[in-house]
Amino acid sequence: MDETVAEYIRRTVLKIPRDEIKTMLQKWGLLSETQLQTINFRQIKENISQDVVQLCEEISADIKQAAVLDIIYNHVYPNKRVWSVYQMKKTGEETEFFDLTDFKKKFKRRLRSALKNVTINFREYEDNAIWIRIAWGTPYTKPNQYKPSYVVYHSQTPYVFISASVLKSNLPLLCQALVLASNYHDIREMELRSHSLNSLKDIVFKRYSQNFQTHYPRPLQERNVAPESADLRIIEENKNEKERIERVNREVFGDGPQPKLEFAQYKLETMFKSDPQMDVLDKKEPFRCLVKFSSPHLLESLKSLAPAGMADAPISPLLTCIPQKARNYFKIRERKHFFPGSFVSP
Amino acid sequence: MESVEGVARTLLSFGRLSRGLPFGRAHGLSSRDPLLPLAPRSQENADPQRTAFLLRKQWTLYSVTPLYRFSNAHLRDYARLLSAFIAAEKQKGLAVEVGVELDIKVAVSSLPYLKGSDQDQAAILVQLSSRSPASPKNSEEKLIWSGWFCCVSGDDISKNVPEDFTCLPLFLVNGAECYTSIVGSWFQKTFDCSFRRLAISPLILSWMAAMWTGCKVDKTASAIELVFSVPCLPQPLDISYAIHPEDAKALWDTVQKTPGEIIQEEVDVFMDCLYSHFHRHFRIHLSATKLVKVSTAIASAHCDGIIKFLQSQYLTGVLMLLTELAISQIE
Repeated sequence: MDETVAEYIRRTVLKIPRDEIKTMLQKWGLLSETQLQTINFRQIKENISQDVVQLCEEISADIKQAAVLDIIYNHVYPNKRVWSVYQMKKTGEETEFFDLTDFKKKFKRRLRSALKNVTINFREYEDNAIWIRIAWGTPYTKPNQYKPSYVVYHSQTPYVFISASVLKSNLPLLCQALVLASNYHDIREMELRSHSLNSLKDIVFKRYSQNFQTHYPRPLQERNVAPESADLRIIEENKNEKERIERVNREVFGDGPQPKLEFAQYKLETMFKSDPQMDVLDKKEPFRCLVKFSSPHLLESLKSLAPAGMADAPISPLLTCIPQKARNYFKIRERKHFFPGSFVSP
Repeated sequence: MESVEGVARTLLSFGRLSRGLPFGRAHGLSSRDPLLPLAPRSQENADPQRTAFLLRKQWTLYSVTPLYRFSNAHLRDYARLLSAFIAAEKQKGLAVEVGVELDIKVAVSSLPYLKGSDQDQAAILVQLSSRSPASPKNSEEKLIWSGWFCCVSGDDISKNVPEDFTCLPLFLVNGAECYTSIVGSWFQKTFDCSFRRLAISPLILSWMAAMWTGCKVDKTASAIELVFSVPCLPQPLDISYAIHPEDAKALWDTVQKTPGEIIQEEVDVFMDCLYSHFHRHFRIHLSATKLVKVSTAIASAHCDGIIKFLQSQYLTGVLMLLTELAISQIE
């Protein structure tokens, strides 16, 4: 077995948390149960990985087989990567029958005709998700297995989730291959990026609970209202305002859990407007700013701002539109109307 | 806003800050560029070559009470004593990064060009370098820790201090915490002084944002970035608000009206303008969040008392401000 394959297997096993190693090796299926039983999974990881490599040597595993373990690892821990979302476009309306074999054949053919040195692996999962792993080389060097790109394609949808490696130059070729293989005619990158692959899926597949477009006041009895304090000396101040804030907040954000995003970025190219009395800047050119919000769970964080008194209720639609518009990168320019407070985002 | 209309308001605990930067006033300049550096008369210029090693590094700030019986003439001795102290601490099992066997060399030197006025003490630099015992005798030593004491335009404190004391109220550190505490302990024991971390309040950070926005920079300046933190939510939130330097400066230039000095009211108006522009778009009240970091082309400062100098021509100006902060913390 090639030394590079051995090293790759060793390093891949080392990434896996010790308690998960046995399960992942079983999913991998390359080593038999009998072989797996010879490994002591309670020793330190360095030794476990050496044992695994040893067993792989005995069956002369190749790089393609080793790569499958990497796919399995990334499928279980997708949040270690940053994913971007792409949308493909078709000319006609017909939904053609998706032929997986045909897809794989065309995809490989397109990549290989441009680049001799690539390692391509496919793995299908239950939810119609096709995972593709591509390790890129050059005409003169072997594929770099440590910087692969990942593609997750749900064949019943026009959406593709890509976690490109650092080698961004291969992105156009990858997109081309996807479009060709899936019988679409175009692909565009959406302004939507996150570590949480499932949240990205929730957003584009509209699997989160969306906010109401209407504004009826909901009867208070519908909600779980905390029981009134028995002590009549305790009065809640601003009770009406607090309730209004809660209600409006839930209308704009929706009731259910928010999709998990880590950041949103706004490039502002709007005018600076001030109170004329203040006698400050009055330029005819945009006041250029770049605003970035970040949080372990951005939308939940933004949702809690108004109740905490740090934002108005309703908070700006620039923030609440993130799931519907399926984007977290925006460029905001002034709307050419007479309404001073309105914005357009292209 | 608490400021009384039409009355210039001085910062409560920093009476001196409101007079703007002494450079401007002391030399009779009514400059709109308050950090215009003027070479202190009897000193050599802080020439960019010599201060280059201070730039683009992260320095943690401390205030230091006056040192008793410290003398510039004994720097070599201090280096020797400190070196012995570190070796002793190592024997005790403290002071070292785990698993690392290092031979530590101490150098203490004076930086006479880092001063604001003649009354200031020359800055003192302490450097720890290491050489692994395995490598050959003449191999290069690696700098592992730097700390420097300085006093830039600290006239107010140096005037009031008895003869045996040396005023170097500002201490800046770059390097591992374990070495900082050893060097700090030695200075405390030897010169009967005490160190305290210097925090930078949101109020001072907004002064820095305003002052540094107004500075002229030669090359293309980087953005003015303000970082706000909202930690007490169920999910913490950080907001980075970066403004194009030309646009920020244009705003500041229309706000800053008093020649040769900056007053609290101007800083407030500047910040309010930025907050209201933000509110217009996002309906979030930035004034209710905590300003934790300010970055400009001149320098960047973090509320935990961490500074990075980015332009040598403004180094002394920033040090002057930090010296004032240190002095206020001591008093």
